[in-house]
Amino acid sequence: MRVTQSMVSANSLRNISSSFNKLNDLSNQVSSGKKITKPSDDPVVAMKGMFYRSNLSEVEQYQRNLSEGYLWMDNSEASLEQANEGLQRIRELLVKGKNDTNSEAERTAIAQEIEEIKKDLVTVANTKVNGKYAFHGTDISTPLVTDGDPPQVAANATDPSIDNYTVQVSSGINLKINVSPTAFSQEMFDVVQGIQEKMENNATDGLDDLLSRLDTVTNNLTTERSELGARYNRLELVETRLDSQEVLANKVLSDNEDVDMEKAITNLSVQESVHNAALSVAAKIIQTSLIDFLR
Amino acid sequence: MASTFMGLETAKRGLVAQQSALYTTGNNISNANTLGYTRQRVDLQQTTSYPSVGTNAPKIAGQIGTGVEATTVTRLREGFLDTQYRSENSKLGYWENRSSALSNLETIMNEPSDSGLSASMDSFWSSLQDFASDPQNAGARAVVRQRGIAVADTFNYLYKTVSAEKSNVENEIGVSEKAVNTILSQLDALNQQIAAVEPNGYLPNDLYDKRDSLLDDLSTYAKIKVSYESTGGNGLAQAEGKAIVSLVNDDGTEVAKLVDANGYNELNVNKNTAETAVASISVGGTTVDINNFDSTGKLKSIVESYGYQDSNGDIKGIYNDMLAELDNLAYTFATQFNAVHEAGMSPNEIAAGADSVISFFADSKSADGSITSRDGFASRITISDAITNSLDNIANASGTNLSSATLGDATVATALAEIINNKYDYGDNSEQATFRNYFEGVIGSMAVSAQEASKMFSNSTTLQQTVENKRMSVSSVSLDEEMTNMIQYQQAYNASARMISLTDELLDTIINGLRR
Repeated sequence: MRVTQSMVSANSLRNISSSFNKLNDLSNQVSSGKKITKPSDDPVVAMKGMFYRSNLSEVEQYQRNLSEGYLWMDNSEASLEQANEGLQRIRELLVKGKNDTNSEAERTAIAQEIEEIKKDLVTVANTKVNGKYAFHGTDISTPLVTDGDPPQVAANATDPSIDNYTVQVSSGINLKINVSPTAFSQEMFDVVQGIQEKMENNATDGLDDLLSRLDTVTNNLTTERSELGARYNRLELVETRLDSQEVLANKVLSDNEDVDMEKAITNLSVQESVHNAALSVAAKIIQTSLIDFLR
Repeated sequence: MASTFMGLETAKRGLVAQQSALYTTGNNISNANTLGYTRQRVDLQQTTSYPSVGTNAPKIAGQIGTGVEATTVTRLREGFLDTQYRSENSKLGYWENRSSALSNLETIMNEPSDSGLSASMDSFWSSLQDFASDPQNAGARAVVRQRGIAVADTFNYLYKTVSAEKSNVENEIGVSEKAVNTILSQLDALNQQIAAVEPNGYLPNDLYDKRDSLLDDLSTYAKIKVSYESTGGNGLAQAEGKAIVSLVNDDGTEVAKLVDANGYNELNVNKNTAETAVASISVGGTTVDINNFDSTGKLKSIVESYGYQDSNGDIKGIYNDMLAELDNLAYTFATQFNAVHEAGMSPNEIAAGADSVISFFADSKSADGSITSRDGFASRITISDAITNSLDNIANASGTNLSSATLGDATVATALAEIINNKYDYGDNSEQATFRNYFEGVIGSMAVSAQEASKMFSNSTTLQQTVENKRMSVSSVSLDEEMTNMIQYQQAYNASARMISLTDELLDTIINGLRR
């Protein structure tokens, strides 16, 4: 084949520019840390990339939802603890007040203490988390209990449709984070009110009946508390799972589109020497022609 | 017996012939870098020997050569390679344009990234989740509204940018039309000039070169077929004649004559009545429906990018297809989202104790904001006035049981977030997919087309260059060769001159030496 100067220079130029192009691609990879810059570089990587990104942002979001769950549960737990202590104290006072050794003045003192505990129970039942009533199910804008003698529990407290205040912890899975409004029942306040009134009136009849009703109410509260504890455990399990999912999602995303630096840098230096060779060869052969050797 | 002065004449012929060869060499060297130049060669031929045969021919021993003459100056070119080159060039024109159109589209869609449509959809979903876990929080509501606006804005932006790209292509159609017609008129003019020169027995090499260059340029736009028609007169056998150029389909069938012996036909790209897509292509009086136009080249690619009317009257095209997909996504998502939102209870509805119909997304061009038309919806999607006016119009609670709807009920808020993950018939083709899957599909198929186009672009570049190399191997100027020729012709010229002085010495011997 006949080879001419213009062919040599055109071919050299083309090869140099294609080698420069590769150099550019590789340096892009190294500087951006990504295997691809546009979907057509590798459609599969691009599509997977979109999917993994959404996946990661979902996991991150569910983790955020969890903190809302923790906030509610921690607060509810503390409040239930306080309510429980109150009920225990009432029980002690009741047992103490039952004794005939108590004078009327002592019973009045007991009644006063119960009155304070009752008020405290109302406050606890109306605990607010982030400005929302924590024990009123989804009806977070109205208090569960209105103060009075006895305090009145809202009528919708037993409505199952407001029972579940939930957060989503993974696709399609909603976790209840509140304590059911039934934890603070009308019965609880009625019993407390009953005991208080007996003490005020210095009466001892029917106290055994009140004691057993008080125990039932306390049991109910304890059950709610242990259920809360169980759900708290579940929340922790979910958190552990989401943490490992996050690591995994990050890893998959990175495996999919992040460049292998050692490989990219090695390729880059290989390409660099190829490019230098191409330049130096082209510079040599383009310069010379027969004219250089004619005297 | 040959004439005494015959040697002078032979040597003179040598001088003249070598001189013209030298000048042609000089011309080759001068044009070594001229685009489209074909190296030339002087055809040297022996003149008739002496004596010629005849009854009165002198009887001498054998015929003596009488020297050399330069007959023609011809181009060294291979017509077959031209045909091959032009056919590859058409493919290159097609794939180059297509790959650049798709690459533009890729840049606009900007996926996968942290700022594209899928990213803004992910943020919207996150905000709905935050809202669902804390439905009373005005901050969470405000974020939902802002992210909703961001989703609508992203749709609007993408739609407008793709449309703008489409109208750029519209300009490109006009520019290409003009470029093709300019080439055609130049070809016609060259044909006429060539027809004026050839009958006089000359070969207009410079005009041939110009014409071949123009034909190369024309082949970028569409597949062409070139045949030649003799110009008659005293033309040489090597004379090429007038070029007859036809526009042909890939299967070789002729669509129309672009240039014939008498003139050229203007090429026009005709739009449909709505001026939104290409309907047909006409050459002179011939009009071809765009669906029957199958001539690979830049023109076809531009038409495919811009959009054309297919046999069902639907508008197809790279940009139109993407716009339709954006409409599908925006329309289906917005209507599904609204359906859930309208059924839900917002704080305002809870306060009023009644479930009224409040949409979240709206159509900016319809009077009441209702979403009815899918076509072009991505450019019109916006947040409804109700949502703009009050954050407390964003629904969170279930609307099935009015009495128990509360501010803390996140049933609908969660359901709204779920819409992104639920399967709907986005493409209006009875295939169920989630928003993300569907959009991934859209981006994926665009990416595959773009990848194909860019691979084909690089393939056709290689092929075109291979042919171009072969062609250059035949036609381009080699300086080494020209230098060698130069020495060769120069020495022959010198030797001819020496021959004249030798003859002079011989004559001197006869004229002056024989005096005594």
